[in-house]
Amino acid sequence: MINGGLTDNILEKILKINEYPALKQPCKASIKNLNAWFGTKLVLKNVNLDIIPNSVTAIIGPSGCGKTTLIRCLNRMHEMTPGAAAKGQVIVDDVDIYDKRVDPVSIKRRIGMVFQKPNPFPTMSIYDNVSAGLKLNGVKDKRLISEIVKESLEGSALWDEVKDELDKPGMGLSGGQQQRLCIARALAMQPEVLLMDEPTSALDPIASSKIEELVHQLKKDLTIVTVTHNMLQAARVSDYTAFMYLGELIEYGPTNQIFKTPQKELTERYISGKFG
Amino acid sequence: MTRLLDLGIDHIRDIIMDMTKLSEYSVVIAIGSYQESTSVKKQIFEWSEKLRVLQDEVADLAIELIARYQPVATDLRFIRSCMEISYGFSRFGRYAYDIVEAIETMGSISDCDKSAVLEMAKTVRDMIFLSVNALKSRDKDVAKKLYELDDTVDALYRTYIRVTIITQNEKPRDLRCYISASLILRYLERISDHACYIGDSVNYIVTGNSSPRR
Repeated sequence: MINGGLTDNILEKILKINEYPALKQPCKASIKNLNAWFGTKLVLKNVNLDIIPNSVTAIIGPSGCGKTTLIRCLNRMHEMTPGAAAKGQVIVDDVDIYDKRVDPVSIKRRIGMVFQKPNPFPTMSIYDNVSAGLKLNGVKDKRLISEIVKESLEGSALWDEVKDELDKPGMGLSGGQQQRLCIARALAMQPEVLLMDEPTSALDPIASSKIEELVHQLKKDLTIVTVTHNMLQAARVSDYTAFMYLGELIEYGPTNQIFKTPQKELTERYISGKFG
Repeated sequence: MTRLLDLGIDHIRDIIMDMTKLSEYSVVIAIGSYQESTSVKKQIFEWSEKLRVLQDEVADLAIELIARYQPVATDLRFIRSCMEISYGFSRFGRYAYDIVEAIETMGSISDCDKSAVLEMAKTVRDMIFLSVNALKSRDKDVAKKLYELDDTVDALYRTYIRVTIITQNEKPRDLRCYISASLILRYLERISDHACYIGDSVNYIVTGNSSPRR
């Protein structure tokens, strides 16, 4: 070109700034050679995946590809299904949660879960829904419980809407509020990782966008892994995206890269809506 | 099953293909008018305007497709690139018009030495052809060839200006010949740049890698 461009030095600096964060960062959780079965059917095939701390990782893929099974393996919920089994390693902060010495209950405290359909305890008040886990775990200090309930409801962006009706039934809330109540319930246990299985699929667009904003806020303190059928939601909320197909992890990388320049043709075809 | 997005992408592709023909004709005929001293200003103006309208159509349609279908991956890169490519073709039309306007402003230039312009025009015409074919065949490797030709074009431009200045005293030129050639060489040089950008866009569509502008 006649008009000179940037010098190589400046260009190099700009290119460095624009580089995608490498997946070589420290991991919150590292999944190694994970296989899972329902009876004799192999539903997860040798999955290897590193979960980056304080990030949102979205797992996408067509129905039956193993997304939900994968996140249920991350807090040992999978094995609670009769006939289900898992083999491999899920290392969270240097501890393999599948090690025989590890108590599965303690894992579920550290790694919380929110489900597709909001499921508040039907007979409990809003307050009791959030405090139930604490009480079950032996916390008796009422002042401490109240503080944690308030913090959890603030953390799930529900406090302002329910602070004057904490004694009302959780089931009386709207669907979106119920889901945020379930998130508050999970947050009350002060988990390090929050697993979300299609958390907005039963919600209207406004309630969904509130959950998405909440996920964005929560990642400051937590590591979040979410399963979603909504690829645009994955594109909006996640930092990293994993694409699964027929029980295999096909591609994993920064969300920006997966949605702009996927490396595998299968990923490209799926996210472009050419199959699924 | 055809995706609804594909209907829109096909429409954008059709508009871009119309633009390739129109922009190619505009430049070729503008250069022809310099060579033959014919008047084509009205025709080139119409085509240039048409190219601008088509560029707006591509931009509107691209925005609509992004808003309605939230395309990703190759679809997204294609749509984004079409906005840049259509701008490139629109500029071809505009520079073609600038060329014929320069010719008309200068009056009679039939006695001028036109060899420098015609030499560069031949290379630029090749570049337009290459960029259009790269787009049609999605050939990512054409960008490199286009930049090589662009270097040739840049060198021709610089050489003409330098030689003219250096030899001005010993070999005085008709000012009309010098100004018309300088302007047209500059317009051709800009067309050459846009042909390179089109090559870059094709590379981006295919690989997802953006090339830093030189």
